[in-house]
Amino acid sequence: MTLAPVDYAILAVYFAFVLGIGWQLRKKVTTSGDFLLSGRSVPVWITSLAFLAANLGAQELIGMSASGAKYGIMTSHFYWIGAIPAMLFVGVFMMPFYYGSRARSVPEYLKLRFDEKTRTFNAATFAAMTVFSSGISMYALGLLLQLVLGWSFTTSVLASAAIVLAYTFLGGLTSAIYNEVLQFLLIVLGFAPLAIMAVWKAGGWDGMAARIPPVMTHSWAYMGRASDNPMGVEVFGLAMGLGFVLSFGYWCTDFLVVQRAMAAESMSAARRTPLIAAIPKMFIPFIVIVPGIAALALANMSTGYVLPMKNGGPDYDQVLTTLMAQFYPAGMLGVGLTGLMASFMSGMAGNVTAFNTVFTYDLYQSHIRPNAPDKHYLMVGRLTTIGGVALSIGTAYLAQHYNNIMDLLQLVFGFVNAPLFATFVLGMFWKRTTGHGAFTGLVSGTTAAALTHGLTVAEGKGGWLASLHQFPSVMAQNFWIAIFAFTACLLVTVLVSLLTKPRPDAELSGLVYSLTKMPTDEGVAWYLRPAPLAILVAVMLVVLNLMFW
Amino acid sequence: MLDLRTPSGYFFAIIGLMVTAMGVFSPESRGRLADVNVNLYAGLFLLAFGAFLLALARRARRRQP
Repeated sequence: MTLAPVDYAILAVYFAFVLGIGWQLRKKVTTSGDFLLSGRSVPVWITSLAFLAANLGAQELIGMSASGAKYGIMTSHFYWIGAIPAMLFVGVFMMPFYYGSRARSVPEYLKLRFDEKTRTFNAATFAAMTVFSSGISMYALGLLLQLVLGWSFTTSVLASAAIVLAYTFLGGLTSAIYNEVLQFLLIVLGFAPLAIMAVWKAGGWDGMAARIPPVMTHSWAYMGRASDNPMGVEVFGLAMGLGFVLSFGYWCTDFLVVQRAMAAESMSAARRTPLIAAIPKMFIPFIVIVPGIAALALANMSTGYVLPMKNGGPDYDQVLTTLMAQFYPAGMLGVGLTGLMASFMSGMAGNVTAFNTVFTYDLYQSHIRPNAPDKHYLMVGRLTTIGGVALSIGTAYLAQHYNNIMDLLQLVFGFVNAPLFATFVLGMFWKRTTGHGAFTGLVSGTTAAALTHGLTVAEGKGGWLASLHQFPSVMAQNFWIAIFAFTACLLVTVLVSLLTKPRPDAELSGLVYSLTKMPTDEGVAWYLRPAPLAILVAVMLVVLNLMFW
Repeated sequence: MLDLRTPSGYFFAIIGLMVTAMGVFSPESRGRLADVNVNLYAGLFLLAFGAFLLALARRARRRQP
């Protein structure tokens, strides 16, 4: 793929606006709260789109079109059952505690609700994970630009890091959030025409369905048995593993997304953030997954389009870029490519802004230097931004040289994340839960995840202790690891909590459901109230699933 | 605080103009599988979207002086 001058010009315009927005926002940053939490003053439409966009990175775009070509429309489970119910839950039930407790981060909520050790465990693993994800994002960007455009890896990594650093350093979280929204709009407007053209060329949905196996155009019909569908997953593993444990663990407890809602200007806006985000979320599959399915259909037609190949098998990760090259002329190609680069960069910025908040408030302020003036923490937040970007660059190079280390790290973070939701849901809804219970539960859940991986095998992965069970796919294995981790965490937390001394009710007001006055919203229009909004979203979700059954 | 609709409105209007110009002055440049002049249609849409954001920002400014 070669770029024309107009494509470079579009890219340059984008960079100019990104930096310009950061420059404009710098004047508003006078306290650490402004820099790390946006001063809790961002309008709800912006927090909603940022909530959505923080997760729609470029790996997601490329990965989802790849999965579309590999698994078909059942990939949309990652957007539907694997996201929407959890987004509704966090908005309606959990946001009152995150926002209302005045905690500045998710780990800080754990400190207020439980104790210092639980917070530190969560904060330290989260901080390591964000740096790692940001580095992986950078690595993927460098790789893509090298492969598609022939740019040098080092130039791509350093240039993108410099731009991300400039705008997050200037405007802090607000700057990152604004750019996430810009990137989201760019992705939608840049890739919707591609989706429309590819589906049109393949003969519409019916034409596509006629040219590929029926399993590719149904999301539920082949989920009864793992052997019936290409994902190798059965309906219980999907619903419990992905739909419940993994999705609630991510959308309800990951500070990267929750931070966006916590930046909202009021409690009501914070609660509506994930609910409003859920509406565009359920339609994203039509932009990111459907082109992959269309590519498969096009490859079965005499259009001259062939699936990209690597080492004798299809290279699904290249599906999106080959489609762009086949459908877009200079001009729209620039828009699409700018969208891709923008989402890589906002993926980095999102991680860096979550990292600096958790580091500054949950590690530095609580362990290294408490009780300093706010100015000091603003400076630490700024320096941490630089440190976070530097560590990400390091991770990107590490990923380039040692792919195995990256796989291992990803696995370990998976173990740490899997049980988290059990801790939060018990903490918020059962006042008897104690700090010792939460901490031992988390550790047991992580151990259970590692043990499950060590004792089962899937596609040659895992089984480093013994092979007690064989899963049909790595995806099924991941879902079941999550289920075991969650269950272990839940049981151990309950057991240890019953054996240890609970905190008095008075200390838990605002942190636990039964001891908190839930915000009421009578007298406001229905679309400004969380419950009716959530019901609307749920109905839309059911309709969509029935349409693509 | 800076109203995001203003800069993003200008951004989409500018790239919309650039893409539309490609569609008008170089209508024959198409992707190999493309049946339509995508630059023209998508460019006009980007332009219209930018104008829409700017109109929203302008309305908000008028309402709260």
